[in-house]
Amino acid sequence: MSESTPRITAQYLEQFSHQTVRLLGKVRQLRGEQATIDAGGNVSIYLNRDSHLQLNHAVEIIGKVQNDLSVRVMACTDFGPENEIDFVAAEAVVDATHRYREIFYEKDT
Amino acid sequence: MDYGNQYSTTSYGAGGGQNGGGFMPGSQSDSAAGQKGKYGKDTLRPVTVKQLLDAHHPYPDAEHFMIDDQETTQVTFVGQVRNISQQTTNVTYKVDDGTGVVEVKVWVDSEVMNEDGQDPKKVTEQAYVRVFGRLKVFGNKRHVGANVIRPIRDFNEISYHLLEATVVHLQATRGAPGDAKAATNGASNTNGMSATAAAQLAGITPSARKVYECLRNSPQTNEGLHMQDIALQVNMDISAVMKAGDELSGVGAIYTTIDDHTWAIMDM
Repeated sequence: MSESTPRITAQYLEQFSHQTVRLLGKVRQLRGEQATIDAGGNVSIYLNRDSHLQLNHAVEIIGKVQNDLSVRVMACTDFGPENEIDFVAAEAVVDATHRYREIFYEKDT
Repeated sequence: MDYGNQYSTTSYGAGGGQNGGGFMPGSQSDSAAGQKGKYGKDTLRPVTVKQLLDAHHPYPDAEHFMIDDQETTQVTFVGQVRNISQQTTNVTYKVDDGTGVVEVKVWVDSEVMNEDGQDPKKVTEQAYVRVFGRLKVFGNKRHVGANVIRPIRDFNEISYHLLEATVVHLQATRGAPGDAKAATNGASNTNGMSATAAAQLAGITPSARKVYECLRNSPQTNEGLHMQDIALQVNMDISAVMKAGDELSGVGAIYTTIDDHTWAIMDM
């Protein structure tokens, strides 16, 4: 019943394999249907038709973590040029999400 | 923003709520002051949607909800609009902040008073919004009755809000940073309490902690303090002091002396 999409960074990918998560990262590479974002580490993402990413923008991805630790994108939101986003705060949010998970998501695994 | 000041005083529940104005401390027996007191006890808390879904009424028909054992009336949160549904009496938004999804209803007659920036037409699907409102339960479905729903102005507002909600949650469950620096294992405590006492008290609510502090620090005879004296000193309702006393005697921190309502600290 959990509709939550915990926020993670690259290091948590393995822990959340096969789950739907949120990542906030900087767009580093665009290659057609595939892209690479930097979310505390490089993450390969597979886009769907609605995604329009821009290089060096910050983007929030909602997607499912695959076996090979890439993410299949379900939805994405452009957060604007990457220098406008405070990534230190964003990393603190990810840290808080897992440290105090009782207010963020149900740990059912 | 102004409301940012409120949460630091309201995090201590009863004490902070009385700062809302109109509710005189000390008139504990006066429920006729209820009309004015109703708004005096309003608190505004930044929350995650998961906290809203987990919140419950302390008793049926209560005006407020309990979140982290604190009375909560108004809440604020930031999330993404998944769905907008126009109905005759209201507009219903489904808002998802990554911790859960909740319905937010904005009543149509309040649209008339909207200024620029609160314009509902500016709230579009997939946009991030900031919501201010009250949690309401209808049967087993809950929703937020919103006073304000507006698009966020800066994407950092999302990170900021989630961190703020975390801070308030931690303050409510562990006490303010000053007196709970090592709250993770409760082993040491900057108030100079002994290690065993701190370990006992690691899991108690802020109001119980206040009562304990009062007992510890006030001048008293070896019979301890009567709970009415404690109530006057910590500025809490008698019923809240009684509850705190029950909790403290439950963990063995205090004991009753000349009668059931006079307590002393148990220190060995």
